[in-house]
Amino acid sequence: MTSHWCDFQNTDYILHCGSNSSENHPISSKWLNKAHERGAKWIVVDPRYTRTAELADIYCPIRSGTDIAFYGGMYHYIFENLIEPNLADYLKTGKRCDVYNFEYLLNYTNATYILDPEFEFDPETGLFSGFDPENEVYSNHSWHYETEEEIPWTEEQYPWAYKDNVPKFKKPTFEKPKRSMDLSHPRCVYQQMKKHYSRYDLDTVCSICGMDKDNLELVYKTYCESAAPDKTGMILYALGQTQHTYGAQNTRAMSVMQLLLGNIGIPGGGVNALRGEPNVQGATDMGMMVNEHPAYLKWANTTDRKSLAAWLESQTYSAGYYSNKPKFIVSSLKEWFGKNATLENDFGYDWWPKVPSTVGAQDWTHISTFELMDQGVIKGYFNWGMNPCHSAPNAAHVRRSMANLDWLVVADQVETESAGFWHAPDMNPKEIATEVYFLPCALIYEKPGTILNSGRWLQWRYEAVAPYDEAKTDLWMVDQIFTAVRDLYEAEGGANPEPITKAKWDYYVNGEISFYPVTWALNGYRVKTSTFEGNGGKGFKANGLDESGNIHCQLTPGQWGDGRTVVGAEKKGSLSEGKVDLLPGYADLAADGSTACAMWIYSGYYNNSEYPLNPAEQPVGRRILNDEEHGGLGLNPEWAFSWPSNRRILYNRNASDVNGQPWNEAKKLNRWDAKAKKWEIVDVNDFVATKTEADGTVTQVAPDPKNPNSFFMLWEQRARLESYGMADGPFPEFFEPFESPMDRNILNGSLHNPVAFGMSGASKYDSAKLDAVTGEEHDLKDFPIVATTYSVTEHWQTGGQSRSCPALLEAMPTQFVEMSYELAEELGIQNNDDVKVSSRRASVVVKALVTRRFAPFMVDGKVQHQVGLTHHFGFTHEFGQGDVVNDLTPNVGDPNSFTPEYKAFMVKIEKAHEGGVH
Amino acid sequence: MADKAFLFDTSRCSGCHACQIACKVWNELPSTLELNGNKWSGSHQNPPDVNGTTRLIMLYNEMENPAYTTTGEVSAQLATKRVKWAFGRRACQHCTDAPCSNICPAGAIFVDAETGLVTTDDSKCIGCQYCSAACPFEVPQYDEGTAVGTIQKCTGCVDRVHNGMKPACVSTCQPEALDFGDRDEMIKKAYERLEMLKARGYSDAMVYGEKEMGGLHVIQVLKYGAAAHGAVENPKVSPAVALAGVTKPLTGVVFPLCIVGFGVMTALAAGYKRDTLVYNTDTKDTIILETGEVAKTGTRPADTRGWTDAVFENLPFMAANRKKKGGE
Amino acid sequence: MELTRRGFFKGIGAAFAATMAFEMTAAAPALAAEVSGDWKLVNTEERSNICCYCAGGCGSLCSVRDGELIHLEGDPDHPINKGGLCPKGAAMFQLRNVVDPKTREIIKNPDRRTKPMVRRPYSTEWEEISWEDAIKEIARKVKDTRDATFVEKEEVNGEMLTVNRCEGIASLGGSQENSEEEYLILKAMRAFGIVGIDNQARV
Repeated sequence: MTSHWCDFQNTDYILHCGSNSSENHPISSKWLNKAHERGAKWIVVDPRYTRTAELADIYCPIRSGTDIAFYGGMYHYIFENLIEPNLADYLKTGKRCDVYNFEYLLNYTNATYILDPEFEFDPETGLFSGFDPENEVYSNHSWHYETEEEIPWTEEQYPWAYKDNVPKFKKPTFEKPKRSMDLSHPRCVYQQMKKHYSRYDLDTVCSICGMDKDNLELVYKTYCESAAPDKTGMILYALGQTQHTYGAQNTRAMSVMQLLLGNIGIPGGGVNALRGEPNVQGATDMGMMVNEHPAYLKWANTTDRKSLAAWLESQTYSAGYYSNKPKFIVSSLKEWFGKNATLENDFGYDWWPKVPSTVGAQDWTHISTFELMDQGVIKGYFNWGMNPCHSAPNAAHVRRSMANLDWLVVADQVETESAGFWHAPDMNPKEIATEVYFLPCALIYEKPGTILNSGRWLQWRYEAVAPYDEAKTDLWMVDQIFTAVRDLYEAEGGANPEPITKAKWDYYVNGEISFYPVTWALNGYRVKTSTFEGNGGKGFKANGLDESGNIHCQLTPGQWGDGRTVVGAEKKGSLSEGKVDLLPGYADLAADGSTACAMWIYSGYYNNSEYPLNPAEQPVGRRILNDEEHGGLGLNPEWAFSWPSNRRILYNRNASDVNGQPWNEAKKLNRWDAKAKKWEIVDVNDFVATKTEADGTVTQVAPDPKNPNSFFMLWEQRARLESYGMADGPFPEFFEPFESPMDRNILNGSLHNPVAFGMSGASKYDSAKLDAVTGEEHDLKDFPIVATTYSVTEHWQTGGQSRSCPALLEAMPTQFVEMSYELAEELGIQNNDDVKVSSRRASVVVKALVTRRFAPFMVDGKVQHQVGLTHHFGFTHEFGQGDVVNDLTPNVGDPNSFTPEYKAFMVKIEKAHEGGVH
Repeated sequence: MADKAFLFDTSRCSGCHACQIACKVWNELPSTLELNGNKWSGSHQNPPDVNGTTRLIMLYNEMENPAYTTTGEVSAQLATKRVKWAFGRRACQHCTDAPCSNICPAGAIFVDAETGLVTTDDSKCIGCQYCSAACPFEVPQYDEGTAVGTIQKCTGCVDRVHNGMKPACVSTCQPEALDFGDRDEMIKKAYERLEMLKARGYSDAMVYGEKEMGGLHVIQVLKYGAAAHGAVENPKVSPAVALAGVTKPLTGVVFPLCIVGFGVMTALAAGYKRDTLVYNTDTKDTIILETGEVAKTGTRPADTRGWTDAVFENLPFMAANRKKKGGE
Repeated sequence: MELTRRGFFKGIGAAFAATMAFEMTAAAPALAAEVSGDWKLVNTEERSNICCYCAGGCGSLCSVRDGELIHLEGDPDHPINKGGLCPKGAAMFQLRNVVDPKTREIIKNPDRRTKPMVRRPYSTEWEEISWEDAIKEIARKVKDTRDATFVEKEEVNGEMLTVNRCEGIASLGGSQENSEEEYLILKAMRAFGIVGIDNQARV
């Protein structure tokens, strides 16, 4: 989220699209209800009438997978109804327009930038310029801006980058884009967009999405009222947007909508991804993905990141905050390899594994790993609290692929379907050679540590009780495994041991693996004045720790209930042996190896060097409720910590106009006081507000109306309505899902995303089209019903935790397929019948839930049925079992994010004759 | 202390079941541990009714929205909804004139003096189930799983209230559909909400609980009206309860006598529903209380139609699945 | 009445201590809430935690007595959830402890697995294994697979590159762990040379 949960109360217009947050993020309902009672209008766009829709004012059904048509139609509506009728007047008078924020569009987005003359889109083929038909990939060359002037870096500007002990790299050149300040140039982003979306008129959108025209117009009209400069609207989305073969473009489409309406960086605005796992924000930040490095840097690869110098050259931005990337990567290497990281050996960069990245190279993401198991390439597999035999698309195919593994290690609290894949109903254990280890893990309240929420808040969990029986923390497990492997390499040698033996691994207190030294690594420390790698690599020492190695922290009796609670009230938690010199924040990072930091964005979350073992003494453990003293907007700046820099709303420079005056006094995040020549800061500024001179004095930086640089994490420092960074085109364009009831794309000549993952180019796999058991290819025409999957509020993901709770199973005992009365009648199905749902890949038996909340769609003039399935049951667990619904979903996905398309596929449904569900 | 009350605003409710779960967790009420031991009701309403181990359930009622239209009327926002999905709460209403407490021979159900909530003491319950029969809402349920079978119903979490906390269902409610506080204040809030709902176009919205049964301690804001949310319209005290006044003093003295006395009462009370009908188990006649007229003779099946059936009628597939009153 | 526990504690002061003394003499732990019975949270310590479901980051309070979890509910101070928890959050207590419907005793959740186990090739059963043996066997398998599938250098566009890649192992997951655990999992897996690393964020 660019905003956070408590900020929902500040919005004027709520748009749910691809999210059912009242059910799946129930906390949202608290804050949305507050906005609603303040008078906010609430719109839900969803294939079925959800519990969220019941709370909302306006409900608009949409056929699964057609979101880009919906957003494109909104852009068209904005151009036709808000911009064009008022633009000339605004340009002439410069007077703020009541219904549309022209200042935002012209100054905070790249609407004025002129695109390369070679850029084009051909509706006949559905292709943007730059398509390589041989490899079925795009080159983004023609999607860039035209350059007005090239401005190279100077030592005066970036003195730190030119120092001797900083790794050498070719310094960037700022390519100043050409602009058309009155939006008149035919190749400027605005004009190109207007042309691109001219095809997305109301009738066309309705025909694709299966919508009613009046309803759609009401939705557009209502939500576009948020374009008024003093109003904000927020989009809430979740997996309903991302799990498509164009999921990343869906996300782009929402961002573009919010930029066109001037809704980003202001209280009650934002592009708000409601994330689905307790610490998925943390895992994303941590870069636990093939091509990612912690803190939104990129991992080493075999092309533009083949060496440290190549990394620095390709990754360092020519302007904006990411010009500091060399500091981040060198500090990360320094934390990773410790004293073994030196200027001479590129701080150990070459010890990191390099991901293949030439055109046509093997992909290693989630879907591909199962193809690689199938081929016998991947032999061993770790599952850390994740359950692919249930959650991966085409799960029956996944189970068959995993049967090729030599070994599998599963760390979890219950026997997941992945741990028990060998005894799935469709598997024969006597034919499966895989050795499977199950490692029992501690529950969340059986261990301490940091967790992040969707709003980027880092919060501390205290251990409440010790892990039951022999359960252990994952921290303990990974330490045991890593050190045992390292010991083997030290004793026996083997394939290059150095990446293992040279890694710094001394996160110990009193000789035991401990969460605290890892927090220091994440926050960052000064190398010289900290004693990592001291004590013979055996870590740190402290007195007064409990059996689990923690300070005894509890809420002081009698003090909780009023927000001023002190945890671990006494000042304690210092080290008796060893020392750590924690960095105050990332501004202190250096590119010369003098600082170590694993996660630059977390820097500042755990920075009190005096009590390094006491989270209550750290920003992450703060429990001070003083929101009213900070504008009463729900920022809660002294409760826990928000990355980066405790900033609660990202891009908050956009909350004020070019002169630094808030659009709406009630939604003030900052203000330039022209008289006092000083910024008034409500939320930590996401822009350059002050400058530190060489002599240490801090001066205020007045707003520059010509260059407000309000998106300073981008090199052009203006938000991108057009982006050259996507694999599948600079503007979101509508395509049908991999499996669609349509045989044509109403909007362009390509039925599918031409570069969709798993369907094209080097990633072309056949398994999504084949029956997982027989290997047969069924005709898609035999599967006439559109289907999607979703969760119920009583269960969660694969049910690993929720099926373990008897009260939750009692409240929702089964999984079902929801269908309309009309479809049920056609199929002769009654509510509560056992029905067999089949896709090209597999069949499952679930209960039928016949409901008014689904209705048939009129698509391209024809009646189209859609159903939805819940997906929380499987073949393991003691209390609740059922079929694995992800056996139905296709293992194809998005070419940017490689996220699978769970949310739109085709099925047939019939009454189940035998077996049935419980 | 002033009387306390729950406030349930259906327009803020997301039907998430958290209240139902929090009730079970705080009160340590079991759910089956058998594999697939819960039978699905055919809707989101699970278990289908309160029972011996479930004191509170959420109700789900789906109806057509008569205002729904696909043409014109773009200004009428609610007209975009083809369905109304009414969420309800089914648990003890904490009557001021609480028949269950009046009839209880063992003093196991009583009104908490501090709060006015109708609470229970399991250790005193003798399992006679007269309270179940007396309740116009059919709330108290027999739990045969305990050593001596006991009655289960919402206690108002008076243990929590006495210790400065809100009832478990209220504390956990994320959308703040549930509130708890001085009854007067809850009623005031309810009417404020009502006004807001009327302004938003919910013409059937109403406040429930202010006057019923001498005033309930659960005040509800019902977005679509009483029936839609499963609220009992015009609940009445069973005449059997009046008899309790006679027999009750005996209970402490001569227990066997008491059993006889309550046998008579059961005959009157067992089939009683909150309308003015009385069912006599001996004659199997259903009698209209005010006139003494026999509404249904014993030759026909007894009228066991409860208010829940009225709700389930709106769920056509579920009505067929319900075997008996009170669900399973 | 001020509905905060703080109000309660402050308000009754010494009376509270007396009540506690009384409660501690009570013979059996209370199973059902009663006005006259034991107060469920008598003498508990409260420790704050964060919910394990969606990424709302709702605060929870764990009430602990004698090293055992007595109760878990929303943290009333927490500025996001203000004491609320959704159905799943409200049931978090049951991840560890459940009520046995037969005896009405609180027992350890029988669905949970709390001992290391191994399933041997072609076997139809799990068997228990000690932590020590499990770690030893896993480390051996990691090393053997790494040694057999390691690519130290490869030619890319005519240039010999050090790539230090272990192609025979993949790792999945991380969104369930705390951030400190994520970092060490990532660091260990990357140190082994694994590029096939993904987590829930991918799906």
